[in-house]
Amino acid sequence: MWAPISNVKALFGNIFLVRNLVRREVRGKYRNTILGYAWTVIEPTLLSVVYWFLFIMLAGNPDENYAVWVLIGVIVWTCFGKSLMSSVTSLSGNTRMIHLVFFPRIIFPATAVLANIVIAIMSSLVIIPIIIAYGFPFEIHLILIPTSILISGFMGMGLGIMFAPLNCIQKDVEHLFRFIVRAGFFVSPIMWTYEMALERGVYGDLVLWNPMVVPITMARHGLVGKWPDMPVDSIIYSICMAILFWIIGSIIFHKYEREAVKHL
Amino acid sequence: MSESAIELENVSLTFPRRKSLVKLVLGLFQKQENEFTALDRINLVIKQGEIIGVIGTNGCGKSTLLRIISGIYPPDQGHCKVNGNISLLAGLGTGFSGHQTGRENAILYGSILGYSEEKIVTKLPEIISFSELEEFIDEPIRTYSAGMKARLGLAVASAIQPEILLIDEVLGVGDPTFKEKSTNRIMEMVQEAGTVVIVSHSFGMLSKICDRIVLMEKGKIIQEGDPSKVIQTYYNRAKKINKEVVE
Repeated sequence: MWAPISNVKALFGNIFLVRNLVRREVRGKYRNTILGYAWTVIEPTLLSVVYWFLFIMLAGNPDENYAVWVLIGVIVWTCFGKSLMSSVTSLSGNTRMIHLVFFPRIIFPATAVLANIVIAIMSSLVIIPIIIAYGFPFEIHLILIPTSILISGFMGMGLGIMFAPLNCIQKDVEHLFRFIVRAGFFVSPIMWTYEMALERGVYGDLVLWNPMVVPITMARHGLVGKWPDMPVDSIIYSICMAILFWIIGSIIFHKYEREAVKHL
Repeated sequence: MSESAIELENVSLTFPRRKSLVKLVLGLFQKQENEFTALDRINLVIKQGEIIGVIGTNGCGKSTLLRIISGIYPPDQGHCKVNGNISLLAGLGTGFSGHQTGRENAILYGSILGYSEEKIVTKLPEIISFSELEEFIDEPIRTYSAGMKARLGLAVASAIQPEILLIDEVLGVGDPTFKEKSTNRIMEMVQEAGTVVIVSHSFGMLSKICDRIVLMEKGKIIQEGDPSKVIQTYYNRAKKINKEVVE
């Protein structure tokens, strides 16, 4: 069967295992901390405070909601970045398990990504106090926030599993991707917004080539109570890219993982 | 039941050698060995109901053989045919999560080993009582000692009855009393399973329970057959190698 579909089937066929592995990842992350799951909210909040300061120093007086835009950008981008990294390292980081048990190996990246998505959705609960404090409308459009988290996690996984087999052979891949995630932070609208790029004329069109612009902007528009106010073709482009990444990633992963785990 | 349970036909497996950048560049100018042969044209037929022991020095390919049979590695050459469901008993407790309780870990580990939800739920009381961890079962597993973890691992891993059982050096875990219990449990599994392949260094136990023993050396099968004879060959060869080293 065609790998992109058989991979999905493998996940549903092992749903009990997937659930347990996701639970392990999410639980493991915040146990042994006094604040526990509150960290999912504290971490992005503190980060956006730092960026807000940075922005005032560099650019002066920003938009009054700027800190909120950054916060949403950080949450969505972190979900993408972590999903990407954990997919790239999904085989090389599970050597012991791979050597002992046999289940479809797509489960490794998939559970890591699902855990990241769950954590990102927990982080996004921070918008509830924000809605109250800033007086944003409490409407159906908020659904765009979890949607954009899902898209970014899915995109990270597709891209990541393309390189997971290669990372078993040469760990250089992992370092390269760590750099890409860091650099991507600046070329994606986290510290800036799509609207800021539009004001700079030609950049508005240029940034749309980055498939992460749509999900992040979508989440921001959802918060202010509107449907994504961007060219339709760029939204379609972004979603198609996510699906294309999954298709290419699945095929590569399926084809090479068996040979690649011999390098572990 | 004369049908074979496992058939290995001319199975070879090589592992790639990892190289540094310097070596890669040097490789352009000089000849280098790129691969390590873990299994070299293995032919082995195991009938249903047979108990087979595999012995050999460290690194001779015993564990790799089990991994081929369980489907973790595909063979580079040859075929491996298996009739029946397999369970590989090795590295007990791999995948445990220190932050979750013993009970949660039993469920997690069971699902990693491929149990269905109903199965693990029905087996859970039995697993807990076998592991003798009743009072700690709702404590996080990071507070367990290594022996306690091993006990829980064995309790979960031995809760299923596979048709083909592969055992890789897991005999006797925990303190002396539990060691006996765990050995007994594995022996029980061996009796219940149709077909068993055991990798071990405890020759006494192997010669007692095995129908046949396979001796491996450098990825090849040197001899297979009657347990006491094969063990004798192992000692003879080990002596010879030792002598060579001394001289």
